[in-house]
Amino acid sequence: MIDEALIESTTADLYSWALRKVPDDTKRALTDARDREPDSGPKAILNLMLQSALLAETQDKFVCSDSGVPVYLVEIGGQAKWQGDIKAAITRGFAHLVETIRPPLLKHVNNPLTNERGHAGKDMPLISVDLIGNADYIDITCVPKALGSGRWSSIKTFISPDLAEIEAFIMSAVLEAGSQHCPPVIVGIGIGGTFEHAAKMANRATYRPIGSINPEPILAAMEERLTTAVNATGFGPMGTGGETTALGVHVDYAFGHGYTPVAVCFNCWINRRSKVRLHSDGSAERID
Amino acid sequence: MAVHHLQLPIDRDTVLALAVGDIVFLSGEITATGGLPAHKRIREFLAERRELPVRKTGTFVHLPTMMEEADGSYEVLYVNPTTSTRFNDFIPGFIRELDLRIVAGKGGLDAASLQVMQETGCVYLSLLGGGSPILTAAIREVAQVAWLDFPSHFRLMTLKVENLGPLTVGMDAHGRSTYARLSGEAQARVPQILEDLTTARDAFEATAAVASNTDQAAQSVDEPVTTGPDVA
Repeated sequence: MIDEALIESTTADLYSWALRKVPDDTKRALTDARDREPDSGPKAILNLMLQSALLAETQDKFVCSDSGVPVYLVEIGGQAKWQGDIKAAITRGFAHLVETIRPPLLKHVNNPLTNERGHAGKDMPLISVDLIGNADYIDITCVPKALGSGRWSSIKTFISPDLAEIEAFIMSAVLEAGSQHCPPVIVGIGIGGTFEHAAKMANRATYRPIGSINPEPILAAMEERLTTAVNATGFGPMGTGGETTALGVHVDYAFGHGYTPVAVCFNCWINRRSKVRLHSDGSAERID
Repeated sequence: MAVHHLQLPIDRDTVLALAVGDIVFLSGEITATGGLPAHKRIREFLAERRELPVRKTGTFVHLPTMMEEADGSYEVLYVNPTTSTRFNDFIPGFIRELDLRIVAGKGGLDAASLQVMQETGCVYLSLLGGGSPILTAAIREVAQVAWLDFPSHFRLMTLKVENLGPLTVGMDAHGRSTYARLSGEAQARVPQILEDLTTARDAFEATAAVASNTDQAAQSVDEPVTTGPDVA
C-alpha cells in the first residue's frame, strides 16, 4: 500500500535530487552539442556546463542557486493501492525538506500580491494530478521551475490557424527569449485544447526525454524542423553565440474548438527533473 | 580570443583592452547582490547622496548568494548569477555613480548601458548560469554584508574572489554588444527561417500525401480480393 509517509519522504527526496543532478539524457544532449559546435567559444561553454553538472553530482552541490518554485506532478494508475491525503503528504514533505536540506534553500517562493517571501503559502507546492489508465503505481515527478527560464513562457489564442501561423508564433517567442533563458533550452509546445490545457501540454512536453521520437509523424516532423529553426537563430550556449540554442523542441496537441491556444515554454540547460514510481506494494523506484 | 587574469580593481586602460568574446578570470573584491529590492535601495541611497554601507569595488555582479552566519562571520554556501536585463533601468546610473569598470551577470544589458559603458569605460561579463559549483569554489571570503533585513540573495555584499571564471566579455567599452549583435542577426534571419520552415512543411506534406495515395491505391487493389468474386 502507498501511504502518506512514503509520499512525504518521496516528495522531499525528489526536490533535493532535482537540484543536484542534471538528467542523463540532458548530459548526453549537451555532450553531443559540444561535439557538433564548430567554434571554440560555444564548445568551451558547453564543456563548462558539463563540468558544472559533474561537480554538482559528484560533490552533492546545487547546480543553480535558484531552487525555483516547487512543482509536482502526480500520475495515478487505476489499479494503484493508496490511502491517505496525498496533497497534505506532499505539502508536509516539502516543508520537511525546507527545514532539513543542506545547504538551505534561498527564499524564492513569494506572494505575488505582497512580495512576501518564504516557502509556504497558498497552493504551495504546486501540485497537478493526472490519471494513467490501469497502472498499479503512482508516478510523482518534480520539476523545480526557476525565473531564468520560467519568465519567458508565452501563450496566444488563434482562430483556426494553419501550421505556418503556429510556427511563426513559436519563433516569435524564441526570439523574445533570445539570450536570456540559459540556453541551450528544451522548448515545450502545446497546441489546442483550452487555455490551461495548452499551457499544461507545453510544460509537460519539456518533461519528455531529449532525443525521444514523437509517435505522431506530423509532430515528429514539426519537432525536427523547429529544432533546426531555433538553432538557426544563433543565440547559442548562454546566449553568447553558437549553433545550439535548443537541445530539443517537444510538441503536444489536443483536439479543441476553432479557437486554438498555442503555448510555448522553456526549460534551461540544467533541465531539472526527477521522478519516482511508487508501487502498490509500498516500494519506491527512482526513474529519473 | 584572449584570456585575461585580472586583479581587481582595474583601471580604464585595462577595460579598454578587453574585447567581446574574450575570456576573463577575476581576483580581488567584488560587490554582489541578486535582487530588485537591493537595486531599488541602492538607487535611493544614490539619489539622497548617501554612502552605501559597502565600499566601492568597481565591480558589480548580479550574483545571488546563500550565506550562513557563524560566530559573527559569514560563510558563502553557494552563488550563481541572475539575469541582468531585469535591472536595465538601474545600471546606467550605477555605472556612473559607483564608478563601475565591470558589471557581470547573465543575459547582458540593453543599449542604454552599452552607451554609458562606452562613455565611461566599463564592460559586461557573462557568468555561467547553472555554474554554481564552479563559481562558488572561487569565493574566498565575505568581506562585508549589508541590509540584513533582506533575504540572503538580496543583500548587498563585498566578496573576495580568486579566479572567478571563466567569464565571457559580452559587452565591451568600444560599443560592441554580443547580445545586440546576436539579436539583430537573429531578427534578420527570421524571413529565411520561416521560409525554410515552409519548405520543410511542404516536403513533409508531399511525403504524407504520397504515402496516403499509396495506401489508398493498395486498398483499392486489395478490394476485389478481399470482397472476393464469390461475394460479388
